Amino acid sequence: MRWIKFIVLLVVVTLLQAEFINLIGIKGTAPDLLLILLIFFAVHFDITDAIVASFITGFAFDLIGPSVGPGVISFGLLGTLLARLNKFIAIRKIPYQIAAVFIVGVLTGILIYLLNLFKAQYITLRFFPLVFGRSLYSGLVGPLLFLPFFWLFRLGPHRFARGRF
Amino acid sequence: MMARKKVKVSGRMLFTWFMLAGFILLFIPDKITSRLQLSFAYIFRFPLRIGYSISLSAPTQDFKRDFVSRNEYSKLHTHLMNVVEDCNEAYQKIEQLAGYRKLKPLEGADFVLANVCDVSDGKLVIDRGQNDGVSLGQFVLCYNSIIGTVSQLSPGTAEIELFTGPSAKMQVQVADEQAILNGTGDDRAEIRFIPKTKTIKTGDSVFASKKPGFLNGTMLLGKVTSCTIDDDNPFFWDIKVEPVCNLKRVTDVAVIVIKK
Repeated sequence: MRWIKFIVLLVVVTLLQAEFINLIGIKGTAPDLLLILLIFFAVHFDITDAIVASFITGFAFDLIGPSVGPGVISFGLLGTLLARLNKFIAIRKIPYQIAAVFIVGVLTGILIYLLNLFKAQYITLRFFPLVFGRSLYSGLVGPLLFLPFFWLFRLGPHRFARGRF
Repeated sequence: MMARKKVKVSGRMLFTWFMLAGFILLFIPDKITSRLQLSFAYIFRFPLRIGYSISLSAPTQDFKRDFVSRNEYSKLHTHLMNVVEDCNEAYQKIEQLAGYRKLKPLEGADFVLANVCDVSDGKLVIDRGQNDGVSLGQFVLCYNSIIGTVSQLSPGTAEIELFTGPSAKMQVQVADEQAILNGTGDDRAEIRFIPKTKTIKTGDSVFASKKPGFLNGTMLLGKVTSCTIDDDNPFFWDIKVEPVCNLKRVTDVAVIVIKK
Protein backbone atom coordinates (compact mmCIF):
# COMPACT_ATOMS: atom_id res chain seq x y z
CA MET A 1 0.00 0.00 0.00
CA ARG A 2 1.30 3.39 -0.88
CA TRP A 3 0.13 4.79 2.41
CA ILE A 4 2.96 2.86 4.06
CA LYS A 5 5.41 4.43 1.62
CA PHE A 6 3.93 7.81 2.46
CA ILE A 7 4.30 7.31 6.22
CA VAL A 8 7.86 6.03 5.91
CA LEU A 9 8.80 8.91 3.61
CA LEU A 10 7.17 11.38 5.96
CA VAL A 11 9.04 10.04 9.00
CA VAL A 12 12.37 10.14 7.16
CA VAL A 13 11.76 13.68 5.90
CA THR A 14 10.66 14.83 9.37
CA LEU A 15 13.83 13.46 10.95
CA LEU A 16 15.95 15.09 8.26
CA GLN A 17 14.14 18.37 8.82
CA ALA A 18 14.51 18.16 12.60
CA GLU A 19 18.28 17.73 12.85
CA PHE A 20 20.06 17.31 9.52
CA ILE A 21 18.77 20.11 7.34
CA ASN A 22 20.99 22.76 8.98
CA LEU A 23 23.97 21.12 7.33
CA ILE A 24 22.90 22.64 4.01
CA GLY A 25 21.80 25.91 5.53
CA ILE A 26 23.08 29.21 4.13
CA LYS A 27 23.39 32.05 6.63
CA GLY A 28 20.91 30.44 8.96
CA THR A 29 18.37 29.64 6.23
CA ALA A 30 17.60 26.08 5.29
CA PRO A 31 14.97 24.58 2.97
CA ASP A 32 11.78 23.17 4.41
CA LEU A 33 11.56 19.55 3.26
CA LEU A 34 8.07 19.14 4.67
CA LEU A 35 6.90 22.09 2.60
CA ILE A 36 8.38 20.50 -0.52
CA LEU A 37 6.62 17.25 0.37
CA LEU A 38 3.35 19.13 0.82
CA ILE A 39 3.61 20.69 -2.65
CA PHE A 40 4.51 17.35 -4.20
CA PHE A 41 1.42 15.63 -2.82
CA ALA A 42 -0.86 18.57 -3.52
CA VAL A 43 0.23 18.75 -7.17
CA HIS A 44 0.70 15.09 -8.11
CA PHE A 45 -2.08 13.29 -6.26
CA ASP A 46 -5.84 13.53 -6.41
CA ILE A 47 -7.70 15.88 -4.13
CA THR A 48 -8.78 13.45 -1.44
CA ASP A 49 -5.32 12.00 -1.00
CA ALA A 50 -3.77 15.45 -1.23
CA ILE A 51 -6.00 16.71 1.60
CA VAL A 52 -5.11 13.81 3.88
CA ALA A 53 -1.40 14.07 3.04
CA SER A 54 -1.40 17.84 3.63
CA PHE A 55 -2.86 17.60 7.08
CA ILE A 56 -0.63 14.72 8.12
CA THR A 57 2.43 16.58 6.80
CA GLY A 58 1.33 19.57 8.84
CA PHE A 59 1.10 17.39 11.91
CA ALA A 60 4.65 16.15 11.27
CA PHE A 61 5.73 19.79 11.00
CA ASP A 62 4.20 20.49 14.40
CA LEU A 63 5.87 17.48 16.01
CA ILE A 64 9.26 19.11 15.47
CA GLY A 65 8.02 22.66 15.98
CA PRO A 66 7.24 24.77 19.03
CA SER A 67 3.58 23.82 19.31
CA VAL A 68 1.00 21.42 17.88
CA GLY A 69 -1.86 22.81 15.86
CA PRO A 70 -0.62 25.70 13.70
CA GLY A 71 1.16 23.43 11.21
CA VAL A 72 -1.83 21.11 10.86
CA ILE A 73 -4.13 24.02 10.04
CA SER A 74 -1.70 25.92 7.79
CA PHE A 75 -0.38 23.00 5.80
CA GLY A 76 -3.83 21.42 5.56
CA LEU A 77 -5.52 24.60 4.39
CA LEU A 78 -2.90 25.64 1.87
CA GLY A 79 -2.29 22.11 0.64
CA THR A 80 -6.01 21.72 -0.01
CA LEU A 81 -6.20 25.07 -1.79
CA LEU A 82 -3.24 24.16 -3.96
CA ALA A 83 -4.73 20.76 -4.80
CA ARG A 84 -8.00 22.46 -5.83
CA LEU A 85 -6.11 25.08 -7.84
CA ASN A 86 -4.15 22.33 -9.56
CA LYS A 87 -7.48 21.03 -10.91
CA PHE A 88 -7.67 24.13 -13.09
CA ILE A 89 -4.03 25.11 -13.54
CA ALA A 90 -1.61 22.22 -13.89
CA ILE A 91 1.62 23.19 -12.15
CA ARG A 92 3.98 21.16 -14.31
CA LYS A 93 6.72 23.46 -15.44
CA ILE A 94 9.62 23.93 -13.09
CA PRO A 95 9.33 27.75 -12.78
CA TYR A 96 5.68 27.31 -11.77
CA GLN A 97 6.65 24.66 -9.24
CA ILE A 98 9.32 26.96 -7.80
CA ALA A 99 6.75 29.76 -7.57
CA ALA A 100 4.21 27.43 -5.96
CA VAL A 101 6.68 26.30 -3.31
CA PHE A 102 7.73 29.89 -2.61
CA ILE A 103 4.21 31.31 -2.36
CA VAL A 104 2.84 28.44 -0.28
CA GLY A 105 5.96 28.65 1.92
CA VAL A 106 5.43 32.35 2.62
CA LEU A 107 1.71 31.92 3.26
CA THR A 108 2.18 28.93 5.57
CA GLY A 109 4.94 30.83 7.37
CA ILE A 110 2.69 33.81 8.00
CA LEU A 111 -0.24 31.66 9.08
CA ILE A 112 1.91 29.54 11.40
CA TYR A 113 3.41 32.70 12.91
CA LEU A 114 -0.03 34.17 13.61
CA LEU A 115 -1.39 30.93 15.06
CA ASN A 116 1.72 30.57 17.24
CA LEU A 117 1.23 34.11 18.53
CA PHE A 118 -2.26 33.02 19.49
CA LYS A 119 -0.73 30.17 21.45
CA ALA A 120 1.96 32.57 22.81
CA GLN A 121 4.63 30.04 22.09
CA TYR A 122 7.63 31.85 20.74
CA ILE A 123 8.75 35.12 19.35
CA THR A 124 10.70 35.17 16.12
CA LEU A 125 13.34 37.82 16.08
CA ARG A 126 13.87 37.84 12.31
CA PHE A 127 10.55 36.58 11.05
CA PHE A 128 10.36 37.95 7.53
CA PRO A 129 13.95 37.23 6.43
CA LEU A 130 13.63 33.69 7.76
CA VAL A 131 10.27 32.92 6.13
CA PHE A 132 11.18 34.45 2.78
CA GLY A 133 14.64 32.94 2.79
CA ARG A 134 13.34 29.53 3.73
CA SER A 135 10.59 29.64 1.09
CA LEU A 136 12.97 30.77 -1.64
CA TYR A 137 15.53 28.11 -0.79
CA SER A 138 12.77 25.46 -0.69
CA GLY A 139 11.48 26.64 -4.06
CA LEU A 140 14.90 26.29 -5.66
CA VAL A 141 15.55 22.88 -4.15
CA GLY A 142 11.98 21.54 -4.39
CA PRO A 143 11.77 20.50 -8.05
CA LEU A 144 15.03 18.58 -7.62
CA LEU A 145 13.59 16.61 -4.73
CA PHE A 146 10.45 15.75 -6.70
CA LEU A 147 12.51 13.33 -8.82
CA PRO A 148 13.18 10.77 -6.05
CA PHE A 149 9.55 11.16 -4.95
CA PHE A 150 8.39 10.33 -8.49
CA TRP A 151 10.55 7.24 -8.42
CA LEU A 152 9.26 6.19 -5.00
CA PHE A 153 5.61 6.48 -5.95
CA ARG A 154 6.16 5.26 -9.49
CA LEU A 155 4.89 8.40 -11.10
CA GLY A 156 6.14 9.86 -14.37
CA PRO A 157 7.26 13.45 -13.99
CA HIS A 158 5.19 14.61 -16.92
CA ARG A 159 2.16 12.42 -16.33
CA PHE A 160 -0.97 14.45 -16.43
CA ALA A 161 -3.16 12.05 -14.48
CA ARG A 162 -2.67 12.28 -10.78
CA GLY A 163 -1.55 9.39 -8.60
CA ARG A 164 -3.52 7.69 -5.88
CA PHE A 165 -2.50 6.09 -2.65
CA MET B 1 -17.66 -13.88 0.44
CA MET B 2 -19.31 -10.59 0.67
CA ALA B 3 -17.43 -7.82 -1.04
CA ARG B 4 -16.42 -5.15 1.38
CA LYS B 5 -18.34 -1.98 0.80
CA LYS B 6 -15.93 0.82 0.05
CA VAL B 7 -16.75 3.89 2.09
CA LYS B 8 -16.24 6.98 0.07
CA VAL B 9 -15.82 10.24 1.93
CA SER B 10 -16.01 13.49 0.03
CA GLY B 11 -13.07 15.85 -0.05
CA ARG B 12 -15.10 18.52 1.71
CA MET B 13 -15.98 16.24 4.59
CA LEU B 14 -12.37 15.18 4.97
CA PHE B 15 -11.22 18.78 4.91
CA THR B 16 -13.77 19.73 7.53
CA TRP B 17 -12.84 16.89 9.85
CA PHE B 18 -9.14 17.57 9.55
CA MET B 19 -9.57 21.31 10.09
CA LEU B 20 -11.64 20.56 13.16
CA ALA B 21 -8.91 18.25 14.41
CA GLY B 22 -6.36 20.98 13.72
CA PHE B 23 -8.30 23.54 15.74
CA ILE B 24 -8.80 21.07 18.56
CA LEU B 25 -5.04 20.53 18.66
CA LEU B 26 -4.54 24.29 18.57
CA PHE B 27 -6.78 24.88 21.56
CA ILE B 28 -5.52 21.98 23.63
CA PRO B 29 -2.99 23.29 26.20
CA ASP B 30 0.65 22.79 25.37
CA LYS B 31 1.16 20.66 28.48
CA ILE B 32 -0.88 17.95 26.77
CA THR B 33 0.18 18.37 23.13
CA SER B 34 3.83 18.56 24.06
CA ARG B 35 3.56 14.91 25.06
CA LEU B 36 3.10 14.08 21.37
CA GLN B 37 6.30 15.94 20.58
CA LEU B 38 8.14 14.27 23.42
CA SER B 39 6.88 10.86 22.30
CA PHE B 40 8.16 11.50 18.78
CA ALA B 41 11.50 12.64 20.17
CA TYR B 42 11.67 9.56 22.40
CA ILE B 43 10.75 7.06 19.68
CA PHE B 44 13.25 8.52 17.23
CA ARG B 45 15.87 9.51 19.78
CA PHE B 46 18.72 7.60 18.11
CA PRO B 47 18.56 9.20 14.66
CA LEU B 48 17.84 12.58 16.29
CA ARG B 49 20.86 12.22 18.54
CA ILE B 50 23.04 11.34 15.56
CA GLY B 51 21.74 14.33 13.66
CA TYR B 52 22.35 16.61 16.64
CA SER B 53 25.96 15.39 16.98
CA ILE B 54 26.58 15.92 13.29
CA SER B 55 25.03 19.41 13.45
CA LEU B 56 27.22 20.37 16.41
CA SER B 57 30.38 19.27 14.71
CA ALA B 58 29.51 20.87 11.37
CA PRO B 59 30.56 24.51 10.87
CA THR B 60 27.10 25.93 10.23
CA GLN B 61 25.27 28.88 11.71
CA ASP B 62 22.64 28.05 14.27
CA PHE B 63 19.52 29.87 13.17
CA LYS B 64 17.69 28.64 16.25
CA ARG B 65 19.38 31.59 18.00
CA ASP B 66 16.93 33.80 16.13
CA PHE B 67 14.09 32.26 18.07
CA VAL B 68 13.59 32.67 21.76
CA SER B 69 11.01 31.28 24.11
CA ARG B 70 8.39 33.50 25.69
CA ASN B 71 10.21 33.30 29.05
CA GLU B 72 13.46 34.43 27.51
CA TYR B 73 11.66 37.24 25.67
CA SER B 74 10.05 38.38 28.94
CA LYS B 75 13.44 38.41 30.69
CA LEU B 76 15.01 40.38 27.85
CA HIS B 77 12.09 42.80 27.76
CA THR B 78 12.33 43.39 31.55
CA HIS B 79 16.06 43.96 31.22
CA LEU B 80 15.41 46.44 28.42
CA MET B 81 12.91 48.36 30.55
CA ASN B 82 15.43 48.53 33.40
CA VAL B 83 18.14 49.79 31.07
CA VAL B 84 15.78 52.42 29.61
CA GLU B 85 14.93 53.60 33.14
CA ASP B 86 18.64 53.77 34.04
CA CYS B 87 19.20 55.75 30.86
CA ASN B 88 16.43 58.22 31.78
CA GLU B 89 17.91 58.63 35.27
CA ALA B 90 21.31 59.25 33.75
CA TYR B 91 19.86 61.91 31.43
CA GLN B 92 18.25 63.61 34.41
CA LYS B 93 21.56 63.58 36.25
CA ILE B 94 23.29 65.02 33.21
CA GLU B 95 20.76 67.85 33.13
CA GLN B 96 21.24 68.40 36.84
CA LEU B 97 25.00 68.51 36.43
CA ALA B 98 24.70 70.87 33.48
CA GLY B 99 22.66 73.17 35.69
CA TYR B 100 25.31 73.13 38.40
CA ARG B 101 28.11 73.82 35.97
CA LYS B 102 26.41 77.06 34.92
CA LEU B 103 27.02 78.51 38.38
CA LYS B 104 30.20 80.56 38.37
CA PRO B 105 31.59 79.39 41.71
CA LEU B 106 31.29 75.83 40.45
CA GLU B 107 33.06 76.28 37.15
CA GLY B 108 35.69 73.63 36.78
CA ALA B 109 34.34 71.58 39.67
CA ASP B 110 33.27 67.97 39.51
CA PHE B 111 30.18 66.63 41.19
CA VAL B 112 29.29 63.39 42.79
CA LEU B 113 25.54 62.96 42.55
CA ALA B 114 24.10 61.01 45.44
CA ASN B 115 20.77 59.86 46.80
CA VAL B 116 19.84 60.53 50.40
CA CYS B 117 19.43 57.30 52.35
CA ASP B 118 18.60 58.70 55.78
CA VAL B 119 17.69 62.06 57.28
CA SER B 120 18.04 62.83 60.97
CA ASP B 121 18.27 66.05 62.94
CA GLY B 122 21.11 67.96 61.39
CA LYS B 123 22.52 65.02 59.40
CA LEU B 124 22.04 63.23 56.10
CA VAL B 125 23.42 59.91 54.95
CA ILE B 126 24.09 59.55 51.22
CA ASP B 127 24.81 56.53 49.07
CA ARG B 128 28.19 57.68 47.84
CA GLY B 129 31.46 57.46 49.74
CA GLN B 130 35.19 57.27 49.52
CA ASN B 131 35.10 54.91 46.57
CA ASP B 132 33.13 57.50 44.59
CA GLY B 133 35.58 60.33 45.19
CA VAL B 134 33.93 61.88 48.24
CA SER B 135 36.26 63.36 50.88
CA LEU B 136 35.86 64.91 54.29
CA GLY B 137 35.02 68.60 54.36
CA GLN B 138 33.57 68.78 50.85
CA PHE B 139 30.56 71.01 50.41
CA VAL B 140 27.21 69.55 49.51
CA LEU B 141 24.67 71.16 47.20
CA CYS B 142 20.96 70.85 46.98
CA TYR B 143 18.74 72.99 44.72
CA ASN B 144 21.79 75.14 43.90
CA SER B 145 22.43 76.04 47.51
CA ILE B 146 24.94 74.77 50.04
CA ILE B 147 23.35 72.63 52.72
CA GLY B 148 26.33 71.26 54.57
CA THR B 149 29.66 69.47 54.43
CA VAL B 150 30.86 65.87 54.49
CA SER B 151 31.55 65.01 58.11
CA GLN B 152 32.04 61.25 58.08
CA LEU B 153 33.10 58.84 55.40
CA SER B 154 33.04 55.17 54.57
CA PRO B 155 33.88 53.41 51.32
CA GLY B 156 30.29 53.40 50.04
CA THR B 157 28.44 56.03 52.09
CA ALA B 158 29.02 59.42 53.67
CA GLU B 159 27.43 61.48 56.41
CA ILE B 160 26.64 65.10 55.70
CA GLU B 161 26.50 67.55 58.54
CA LEU B 162 23.87 70.10 57.67
CA PHE B 163 24.70 73.67 58.53
CA THR B 164 21.56 73.66 60.71
CA GLY B 165 22.90 70.76 62.79
CA PRO B 166 23.38 71.43 66.53
CA SER B 167 27.17 71.23 66.34
CA ALA B 168 27.67 72.67 62.85
CA LYS B 169 29.90 75.64 62.21
CA MET B 170 30.59 77.25 58.87
CA GLN B 171 32.23 80.44 57.66
CA VAL B 172 29.68 82.57 55.87
CA GLN B 173 29.24 85.97 54.37
CA VAL B 174 26.29 88.24 54.93
CA ALA B 175 26.08 91.85 53.87
CA ASP B 176 29.75 91.77 52.84
CA GLU B 177 30.69 90.75 56.35
CA GLN B 178 32.47 87.49 57.14
CA ALA B 179 31.04 85.61 60.12
CA ILE B 180 30.66 82.17 61.67
CA LEU B 181 27.32 80.42 61.24
CA ASN B 182 26.32 78.09 64.08
CA GLY B 183 23.68 75.46 63.66
CA THR B 184 21.01 75.39 66.37
CA GLY B 185 19.12 72.28 65.33
CA ASP B 186 15.47 72.36 64.31
CA ASP B 187 16.44 73.37 60.74
CA ARG B 188 17.88 76.72 61.79
CA ALA B 189 21.20 78.41 62.31
CA GLU B 190 22.37 81.67 63.81
CA ILE B 191 25.07 84.21 63.21
CA ARG B 192 26.43 86.21 66.09
CA PHE B 193 29.07 88.84 66.54
CA ILE B 194 28.20 90.93 63.53
CA PRO B 195 28.45 94.54 64.65
CA LYS B 196 25.25 96.53 64.82
CA THR B 197 26.83 99.05 62.51
CA LYS B 198 26.25 96.69 59.60
CA THR B 199 22.86 96.99 57.88
CA ILE B 200 21.25 93.58 57.85
CA LYS B 201 17.58 92.95 57.36
CA THR B 202 15.17 90.03 57.09
CA GLY B 203 15.38 88.37 53.69
CA ASP B 204 19.06 89.08 53.12
CA SER B 205 20.99 86.25 51.55
CA VAL B 206 23.63 84.36 53.49
CA PHE B 207 26.48 82.87 51.49
CA ALA B 208 28.96 80.12 52.26
CA SER B 209 32.41 81.68 52.06
CA LYS B 210 35.03 80.69 49.58
CA LYS B 211 37.31 77.95 50.88
CA PRO B 212 40.34 77.03 48.76
CA GLY B 213 40.27 73.38 47.78
CA PHE B 214 36.59 73.05 48.64
CA LEU B 215 34.69 76.04 47.23
CA ASN B 216 35.97 78.38 44.56
CA GLY B 217 33.53 81.18 45.27
CA THR B 218 30.72 82.20 47.58
CA MET B 219 27.51 80.23 47.22
CA LEU B 220 24.04 80.80 48.56
CA LEU B 221 23.33 78.99 51.80
CA GLY B 222 20.24 80.52 53.37
CA LYS B 223 18.15 83.59 54.12
CA VAL B 224 17.99 85.82 57.16
CA THR B 225 14.70 85.22 58.91
CA SER B 226 15.23 87.60 61.81
CA CYS B 227 17.79 90.16 62.86
CA THR B 228 17.57 91.40 66.44
CA ILE B 229 19.92 92.85 68.99
CA ASP B 230 21.86 90.16 70.78
CA ASP B 231 20.58 89.81 74.33
CA ASP B 232 24.03 88.89 75.63
CA ASN B 233 25.88 91.61 73.80
CA PRO B 234 23.92 94.70 72.71
CA PHE B 235 26.63 95.80 70.25
CA PHE B 236 26.04 92.85 67.99
CA TRP B 237 23.20 91.39 65.98
CA ASP B 238 21.55 88.05 66.69
CA ILE B 239 20.73 86.81 63.23
CA LYS B 240 18.61 83.76 62.56
CA VAL B 241 19.12 81.92 59.27
CA GLU B 242 17.02 79.31 57.52
CA PRO B 243 18.01 77.20 54.50
CA VAL B 244 16.52 78.03 51.13
CA CYS B 245 15.29 74.47 50.64
CA ASN B 246 13.36 72.13 52.91
CA LEU B 247 16.14 69.95 54.28
CA LYS B 248 13.67 67.35 55.57
CA ARG B 249 12.52 66.64 52.00
CA VAL B 250 15.89 66.37 50.35
CA THR B 251 16.15 63.22 48.23
CA ASP B 252 19.28 63.80 46.20
CA VAL B 253 22.32 65.99 46.57
CA ALA B 254 25.58 66.83 44.80
CA VAL B 255 28.95 66.75 46.50
CA ILE B 256 31.32 69.38 45.11
CA VAL B 257 34.70 67.99 44.24
CA ILE B 258 37.21 70.68 43.35
CA LYS B 259 39.72 69.49 40.79
CA LYS B 260 43.31 69.83 41.97
